[in-house]
Amino acid sequence: MVGAMSPLDKKLFRDLGRMKGQMAAVVVVMACGLMVMVMERGLVCSLEHSKSEYYARHRLADVFCELRRAPNSLRTTLSHISGTAAVETRVLGVATLDIPGMEEPAQATLVSIPDDRPPRLNLLYLRSGRLPLAGRRGEAVLSDAFAQEHGFRPGDTIDATILGARVRLQIVATALSPEFVYELPPGGIMPDNRRFGILWMGERELAAALGLKGGFNSVVVDVSPYGDIRTVRSELERILAPYGARIAYGRREHPSVNMVDEEIRGLRATAVAFPLVFLSIAAFMTSAALTRLVRLQREQIGQLKALGYSSREIGWHYTKFALVAVVLGTGIGGALGLWAGSRLVLLYHPFFRFPSLTFHPEWPSLFFGLVASTATSLAGVATGVRRAVALSPATAMRPEPPGEFRRPAVRFPQLQNLAPPSFRMAVRNLRRKPWQAAFTGLGLAFATAIPVVSVAMDDGIRYMMDFQWRLAQRQDVTVSLVEPGSYRAMTELAALPGVLYAEPFRAVPARIVAGHRERQLAITGLTRAARLSRLLDEEANPIGLPRGGLALSEQLAKTLRIGPGDTLRIEVQEGKRPVFTVVVAALLTDFAGVGAYMDIEALRRRMGEGSTISGAHLEVDGNRWSGFFAAVKRSPRIAAVATTRSVRETYDRMMGDMMDITKVIMSLFAVVLSFSVIYNGARIALSERTRDLAALRVLGFTRNEVAAVLVGELAILTFVALIPGLFLGNQLTRLILASTVTETMRIPVLVTSRAYATAATVVLVSSFVSFGVVSRRIIRLDLLGVLKARE
Amino acid sequence: MFDHGTNGTSLPGLHAALQPLLSARAVTKVYPTGAATEVRALNGVNIDLYERELVVLLGPSGSGKSTLLNILGGLDTPTSGTVRFRDTDLTEADDRMLTRYRRETVGFIFQFFNLIPSLTARENVELITDIATDPIAPEEALGLVGLGDRMDHFPSELSGGEQQRVAIARAIAKRPEVLLCDEPTGALDVKTGMLVLDAIGRVNRELGALVVVITHNAVIAEIADRVVSLSDGRIAGVRTNTIRRPISELSW
Repeated sequence: MVGAMSPLDKKLFRDLGRMKGQMAAVVVVMACGLMVMVMERGLVCSLEHSKSEYYARHRLADVFCELRRAPNSLRTTLSHISGTAAVETRVLGVATLDIPGMEEPAQATLVSIPDDRPPRLNLLYLRSGRLPLAGRRGEAVLSDAFAQEHGFRPGDTIDATILGARVRLQIVATALSPEFVYELPPGGIMPDNRRFGILWMGERELAAALGLKGGFNSVVVDVSPYGDIRTVRSELERILAPYGARIAYGRREHPSVNMVDEEIRGLRATAVAFPLVFLSIAAFMTSAALTRLVRLQREQIGQLKALGYSSREIGWHYTKFALVAVVLGTGIGGALGLWAGSRLVLLYHPFFRFPSLTFHPEWPSLFFGLVASTATSLAGVATGVRRAVALSPATAMRPEPPGEFRRPAVRFPQLQNLAPPSFRMAVRNLRRKPWQAAFTGLGLAFATAIPVVSVAMDDGIRYMMDFQWRLAQRQDVTVSLVEPGSYRAMTELAALPGVLYAEPFRAVPARIVAGHRERQLAITGLTRAARLSRLLDEEANPIGLPRGGLALSEQLAKTLRIGPGDTLRIEVQEGKRPVFTVVVAALLTDFAGVGAYMDIEALRRRMGEGSTISGAHLEVDGNRWSGFFAAVKRSPRIAAVATTRSVRETYDRMMGDMMDITKVIMSLFAVVLSFSVIYNGARIALSERTRDLAALRVLGFTRNEVAAVLVGELAILTFVALIPGLFLGNQLTRLILASTVTETMRIPVLVTSRAYATAATVVLVSSFVSFGVVSRRIIRLDLLGVLKARE
Repeated sequence: MFDHGTNGTSLPGLHAALQPLLSARAVTKVYPTGAATEVRALNGVNIDLYERELVVLLGPSGSGKSTLLNILGGLDTPTSGTVRFRDTDLTEADDRMLTRYRRETVGFIFQFFNLIPSLTARENVELITDIATDPIAPEEALGLVGLGDRMDHFPSELSGGEQQRVAIARAIAKRPEVLLCDEPTGALDVKTGMLVLDAIGRVNRELGALVVVITHNAVIAEIADRVVSLSDGRIAGVRTNTIRRPISELSW
């Protein structure tokens, strides 16, 4: 195979073989950078792809509208709204489920499906079983995630309480729906497949159970390609207003769709910040390493020039070094990225219920990574080659002249005498080549920075959960009523077994309008003395509920571009649907979810109602949970029960996997980076200074002492790079976390000493391991032989 | 054997003797060594070198021999003065022209052989035959220096003399008009040094190349047509040998 190659190409391959350690270090770093790029971008691409395909194929509606009750006779009017392609009316409700073996009740959203024809919109994707048969009572389709969690299969039965009436339903199928990709319990921010599911039932039966016989309380519309969504929405609102319609909202405002979009948005931001950081570090390291490799060949470059090779031919020869690194690095990185992406996409399955969520690589990003890697590698080689060919061949062929050593401006003779000569030599060598030292130092600083980010993210998430569920929401359980209740309902809730303390809340769905920006949100009324559900500022200090105005999540205020003192218009979508203006009185910190809060009395006054409540926050005696849950299951008025502990657990479990993967990837990168920076630094320094080191051996230095000179240099750099590295980690954390902020989730920047300590440990340990590897090499090297024959 | 026809230098003619192949005029080379100091390696050197000549540059170390040789070979450029190869002013030449000059005209032999360590003897010669216009086959060039049986050895597997002979084979494979040798025997023992000198002498005789050899060994000077002595960057004297001693008679 070597036969037909030009002598320069043979040289290339043999040199590569000799430098395989150094090349491997370069390739691995490059591969890591590209892997993160391909993986992250591919994840985004996969979610986008699955989403749009699923929505299109299963005909997710464009417009949704909920109302109190309208007669079925109104269907014809609705179907004549211009610009609609399909209109479906349906019945929605809630049920409490009594799951055997589960102490607390589970909740279900009930959705009707047409009795005598297949649905036109929001088509179900059946995982197993069949749709309910027309005229067969008590048949239901259960959401797949919930079914899987509890091991329900078609043929099993499930006990539900609908409006206080207990019914036994037979599960005939398990299914997915484009409307519930993200199965959010009402008011929740994370799916909880153990405690929340969806049940689809025949329309007539469900309407009867919900007391809506002959009517509907939900409309979904598919807007034709020529139709205008805004017109359709306002037409719907106009026609349905007399029937208690809330606003008609578009697909993007649908909770599930919105959550999927938010997640993709967050992921997309991460998929820019992360790979960019990784890729640029990798590129930088690759470039610096190749520059040094080329500089090692300075004498050979001089020779080739003397023999009559042109600068261009020599440049091309060394370019091939870079290309080999690029091909290997991008090949390995790309393959690893595709593999890791296809594994990582599995982690999204519990979050996003798509019929299929498979990995779709984003080829442009792979291409971009390839171009970036190639460009930086070439730049690295070019720097080295340019420097070498710029010298006259006569100069290049001579070994580099001894460097100029200067006496330091400030000297500490006593200290100097304390330090062993090998240490002094190490320090002077660093001073002699400040740029080289700076590059190695920078690489080490990056290696230090990355574990800081990973630990800080972990700490941030912990703090966020603590903040949200220990400091802000201190209730053990939140109970919501089916219909807003009176003060009597409050007494009843407070009298449930085990309840130690109860605080009422009133939540009304509303449209919050600030100029031309608006947001659909529940306004929560709390008592001013509330001690369970508290409003906190960034430092977790409670802020009092303003007497008249509105307290708003900072994040929401940012979205709406408003601040304290600004006035908002509130269009309530419940009861008498009052419209009023209110002043933003305070901003509060919310890391998960956004909210708007008012004094409950003020809210009731605006609503024109007495002492209504939507539910209560409760403190429950830890020993009496079973009694409490049993009572809740029996109560017809309770729609939902959310225990803080279970919400937190779910969050923990869901976020945990994702964070673990991220942590592993980051730690891996940090180790690879610090190892390769040190290994490469040491190997190149070794080649550059073999003769110096050999001379030391002749002077009577032991092998270990000689190794100490070289390793000493790197050890000094490692220590010096540590502090800037930690600072860099802090900055990088800010950058990356800032890029992951979504409206519903924000990880606080919290760089603790734990993060710094972990980072320092990772870098020091991997440094010492590579010192060991390099020292062994130096010790085994025949240094005396080096002096005898010159290369 | 060498092909005599292609270079058109079958016999030294009178006109050749009159028109120098290489000529240096007022060549000065200054190396800056620090903020205020400098080293004047060459200080106004004038010299004419002719086809088919074998010239020895003699002088103590630091006298400027290597600097002059490097400038003549287009490896370095003078600080001032001119160097002409035939009608070409090398001091005015750009990098491309100098590359062509080195590639087509000049062969180099260095004290420390300067072979590419990752290439075998044959491949080191192929480096030249790959880019030269009318080269000798690498096998033939290696045969000429007596290394026909060591062609596939790496430099590290060859003795110093063998390595230097590879360097000679590499230098002559392009049929150079000018062969520049910087202390070619400096790193070798006497016996090996003779072998190397013999090979260099044959290039001069059989290829008709102008050969310039640097040495500080006065004995070697006896094989030359002319001996140029350098001292402190100036030409201290030129001696013409009426009889060139055959290499076999040398001893030092």
